[in-house]
Amino acid sequence: MAPHRQEIKEAVPVRQVIKGNIAVSHGVRLSRVKVISAYPITPQTTIVEELSEMCATGVLDAKFIKVESEHSALAAVVGSETAGVRSFTATSGQGLLLMHEVLHWAAGARLPIVLTNVNRAVAPGWNIWADQTDSASQRDTGWIQIYCESNQEVLDSVIMGYRLAEEVLLPVMVIYDAFFLSHTSEVVDIPEVSEVDAYLPPFEPEYRLDVRDPRMFGGMMSPDYYYEGRYVMHRSSRDVLHVYPRMCREFQERFERNYDLCERYRTEDADLIIMTAGTISSVCRIAVDRAREAGKRVGLVKLRLFRPVPDAHWRDALGSAARVAVIDRNLSAGLGGVFASEVKNALFPLTKRPAVYSVIAGLGGRDVTPQDVTGIIDQVLGADDPGETPIFWGLRE
Amino acid sequence: MQKIFASPREKMVGEELVQPGMLSCQGCGAALSMKLALKGLGERTIIIIPASCWGVIIGAYPFSSLRVPVIHVPFETGAVVASGVKAAMDIRREADVTVMTWAGDGGTYDIGLQSLSGAAERNEDILYVCYDNEAYMNTGIQRSSATPLGAWTTTTPAGALKEEPKKDMEKIMLAHGVPYIATASVAYPDDLVRKFEKAKDIKGTRFLHLLSPCPPGWRIEAAKSIAVTRMATQSGVFPIYEIEDGTYRMNIVPAAMIPVEDYLRSQGRFGDMSEDMMQSVQEQVNGRWQELLAQAEGSKK
Amino acid sequence: MERNDRKKGSVPYEFKTWRDFPPMNVSLGTMLHNRTGSWRFIKPIYEDKIPSCQAGCPAGNDIEAWTKLIQRGEYERAYWYLKREEPFPAILGRVCFRFCERTCNRDTLDQQVGIRALERFVGDQVPLSTPYPELPSYHGKSLGVVGSGPAGMSAAYFARLLGFQVTVFEAMPVLGGMLRVGIPAYRLPRSIVDEEFVGLKNMGIALEPNTAVGRDISLDECAHRFDYLFLAPGMHRSRSLGISGERGTTVISGLDLLKKIALGEDLQLGRKVVVVGGGNTALDAARSALRLGSTVTIVYRRTEGDMPAHAEEIAEAREEGVRFRFLAAPECIEENPNGGDASLVCCTVEQGKPDESGRRRPVKREGELFGVKADTIVTAIGEEAFFDPCAEILKKNNGVLRVDQELRVDALGIATGRIFAGGDIIGAPHTVVHGIAAGKRAAIAVDCHRKGVPFSEIIRRITIGEGPGISFSAYKGWEPLNAVSRNLKSVVRPEQVVYDYFERAPGIQSGGISAAERRKNFSPYEETLTAVQAEKEAARCMHCGRCTECDNCLILCPDVSVLVKGEGTFGYVFDYDYCKGCGICFTECPRHAISLVDEETPIGSV
Repeated sequence: MAPHRQEIKEAVPVRQVIKGNIAVSHGVRLSRVKVISAYPITPQTTIVEELSEMCATGVLDAKFIKVESEHSALAAVVGSETAGVRSFTATSGQGLLLMHEVLHWAAGARLPIVLTNVNRAVAPGWNIWADQTDSASQRDTGWIQIYCESNQEVLDSVIMGYRLAEEVLLPVMVIYDAFFLSHTSEVVDIPEVSEVDAYLPPFEPEYRLDVRDPRMFGGMMSPDYYYEGRYVMHRSSRDVLHVYPRMCREFQERFERNYDLCERYRTEDADLIIMTAGTISSVCRIAVDRAREAGKRVGLVKLRLFRPVPDAHWRDALGSAARVAVIDRNLSAGLGGVFASEVKNALFPLTKRPAVYSVIAGLGGRDVTPQDVTGIIDQVLGADDPGETPIFWGLRE
Repeated sequence: MQKIFASPREKMVGEELVQPGMLSCQGCGAALSMKLALKGLGERTIIIIPASCWGVIIGAYPFSSLRVPVIHVPFETGAVVASGVKAAMDIRREADVTVMTWAGDGGTYDIGLQSLSGAAERNEDILYVCYDNEAYMNTGIQRSSATPLGAWTTTTPAGALKEEPKKDMEKIMLAHGVPYIATASVAYPDDLVRKFEKAKDIKGTRFLHLLSPCPPGWRIEAAKSIAVTRMATQSGVFPIYEIEDGTYRMNIVPAAMIPVEDYLRSQGRFGDMSEDMMQSVQEQVNGRWQELLAQAEGSKK
Repeated sequence: MERNDRKKGSVPYEFKTWRDFPPMNVSLGTMLHNRTGSWRFIKPIYEDKIPSCQAGCPAGNDIEAWTKLIQRGEYERAYWYLKREEPFPAILGRVCFRFCERTCNRDTLDQQVGIRALERFVGDQVPLSTPYPELPSYHGKSLGVVGSGPAGMSAAYFARLLGFQVTVFEAMPVLGGMLRVGIPAYRLPRSIVDEEFVGLKNMGIALEPNTAVGRDISLDECAHRFDYLFLAPGMHRSRSLGISGERGTTVISGLDLLKKIALGEDLQLGRKVVVVGGGNTALDAARSALRLGSTVTIVYRRTEGDMPAHAEEIAEAREEGVRFRFLAAPECIEENPNGGDASLVCCTVEQGKPDESGRRRPVKREGELFGVKADTIVTAIGEEAFFDPCAEILKKNNGVLRVDQELRVDALGIATGRIFAGGDIIGAPHTVVHGIAAGKRAAIAVDCHRKGVPFSEIIRRITIGEGPGISFSAYKGWEPLNAVSRNLKSVVRPEQVVYDYFERAPGIQSGGISAAERRKNFSPYEETLTAVQAEKEAARCMHCGRCTECDNCLILCPDVSVLVKGEGTFGYVFDYDYCKGCGICFTECPRHAISLVDEETPIGSV
């Protein structure tokens, strides 16, 4: 399976048409990751295969530990990261769920791991297609979560992910949709490695496993200490809100691609702003344009950074609209849409807030088309009151 | 003078990498095992400790009683975190540093078995040590698959004593084809230190199984900790041997074996065993002992 | 971070606010501030105890210590250390009955340590004429010793070490008592005994042989001349059989036979010798007669197992050709009027109920008589005292002198309170080592009287175990070899030794001179061990109750709380800041040199 081998050999900036998983692999290569540990799960497998190939050919100078489960995959990089070496893992769906204990551990241990998660539905029944419930259900683990809309964004987010993680000492989860990105080819500008080196310095942690400075990591913490330990972690997570924008600006200066904590599209005078994450964002743009052509003042806010919650940014981006429709490609049973609930939370301090309409769509990989979004727009504009119940778009009733 | 130890005095009595102030119980075999292990390994050692007594013994944040780097890890991940650490040390060009997993029987036989099997199958260059006190002692004496037949634990109380024999980890590791497997105990400190020294220089997955006495869990006096452990080997219940690339070698062959019953009666945890149960244990021990002797003989050829 | 900095300890980190926390969960210090010694309710101490050999020795010989010195190759130091408690190793190393070996704890493992052979080795290291080094000056009090046997020699030696001016009177022309005229030369060469006396003389002890108190100088005169007297005349007369014909010309006592041989006097010994008796004198006489060319038969009224003589003596005698006739009680001696062999008429005996000695009483089978032909009959059924100055008292008191708690003879009527007695004469067991013990005890008794301190209290303090051995070193306040706290009362039993830590090793085998060779003359046939043999045998000593720095406690302490004392200083110290009192060191000390005491016990008080 080596159709793109000629791409790999080149070390100059290259514009290529590649799938999301391949983009991840380039991001890992360019970030000079030294230890990789992963376990195959559809639709992440091509990352594993690609990285294996890269290691085997020497394009990527890294050790690849081919573990026997995802739980072990993350645990392995907990080890290598604590020993001061930049490390990477990738997973999806069930794999992410299996890592759950270690996700908490990695964040609590303040390890700057980057994990790319391909959003996949959670079982039972087996469903390998796009759904955000896997990553959304990990929102309390302390990981920084970044949702990507394009393969370019995925590649760039891996590089920026290491930069961010190693500064604030928290792990970063780069998240993108199954198949829509993982297995779909898009145009991607692959940066040149020296440019990335200038942006991403070597990993030099203050504390690491070292026989010259023997310390104990992760020791038992009594009630006397644990509280402040967690508080410190929370503060570092909140620091991301000003650290990450700075890094995005630096990235823009160097690579001329613009990222922010969330991105606005035609929101300045919008009566209705759609808020969503992942590839649905691309679909929404088309629908927003169509709505504008039809005279409706509609905009889009693309949710990029989910953790820490950029509440002030969200208030600023959404506060002026009369209506906000949050499209969740996830469902927290008994609650509703995860993003919707967080957005409501963020908007709460406003004395004058938009009405928030929660929309559930695309669960388990069900397609969300521009027509779907147009329909959602019309339904929201036509409803005076959001009500308590989300709009389950496309539900067979 | 009566020389007890073959190892040179500087090694056995030299600078300690373990400091007192530990939170171990009086007479703890795990504390002593670590002290002796580090005598064999030296200061260029990194220790991975999954949930177990040593997770507590070492001390609470922000203090550590060990003079080597240590990382606490989730219960099931002892062997695989070590794999990650080892990969990193190789990359840092410090491949001579010994990366050692120090796990209890629970973290080896039960919850940790998967990651251990994975690491062993990959022949990761790590030293995996199971310090076996034969139950989940840190959580208050619950049975594990390392608990011997007939033992009392809180989850195998009188009337429902453990009916299953102890799982044979050595055979499991042998099935993985790892280069070095050995048993040892604090009752034979010379042998234990020698094995750590030896294991240090072997490449690939090395598995050391230490019998680690636990006074509260075994229901023995702390002062008898070592003596009871010695009886384990003298009765054949815990044979001390090594398997190097498939070659068996018996390390401790008592001049005269003591009855298994003597060993069982020395501990409160076997106090509810019937005569029949003890007899069946004696038979099982005899069988295993003969099997090991035959293996060792066969290996000589 | 510094290693092992337990003296400084570590200051626990104080986190006042979250700002003091490092960014990740990483340790910042050691656990040394956690002084786990507070968990203890019992604590270990290093406490040397009494090995079973020393407890078994009537003289309290500190065997373990000089054995240790042999192992270290310090032979000369071993010699002088041994002499702290037992003055004549060259002698005892040849003739002692080895009470120590019978109690040696090594017997449980394989075989007792050859202690006597080791003592002999030590005894042969230094010329016997060398006086004890660093003798104390005289304090002005004097001691007269009557009798130059083991008790007298020992009393003279120890009294000199206590600063007394000592004079020893000996009735015989030669010095040494039974050592010189009782024990045959093949066992104890005369030159050794003579050299020991040169050594005593070189210590400043005056020796007066050929001076019998009672005959050449009166007891009264002695009592006036000396501040104190010690009577140890021994028992040099044979008990009579009490049968007719005993005064015949063919009859000689065993003691007389041995004395004549020893003094080189004329001796008419027949070709066929019968010896009556079962003790060591009988055996010594029999084996001596054999060496002079006679055939010898020992006649004894009990069985072999009942014989008081050393089993070794009996075995060697048999090898050399001595014959034995048991369960035969002498009835009378019939001389042959024609000048031929006499006949010892005996009655067959059977064994009855046990008597006071625990042995079955011989019961004659009346009428079952038989005769044993002999041209010399030797009587050796026991010794009794003859000491004219005390003849009356002896008669009244069953042939022994009675002494009080302070070893003083009562009812003498002269020099009340200043005349002491000991050894065979007061009924002590008739062995050399008991004599040595008696002399040591007497010297201390006399010294206590001089100082005006109560002897009974002193004796209680310096008694080893339950006794009868006593420690002269403890009396003098001399430091023990390893200067570790020492408990004189606690004797190590076999169950307190951890045999798992010792490997079986065979003991030394005795030399190979055949019986045929041995019986040809009076040359000594047992050889002193070589240095290699001595060190090998000494290495079998388990040092019961005494620390040997084997490191076991240090290595097995789970809490790293046993520390080596330091350069040049022997032993270890417990770090009580951290010692949790688990007791592993106590259980695993191979030789029971550690004790567990109540936590409240102040250190150094034991």
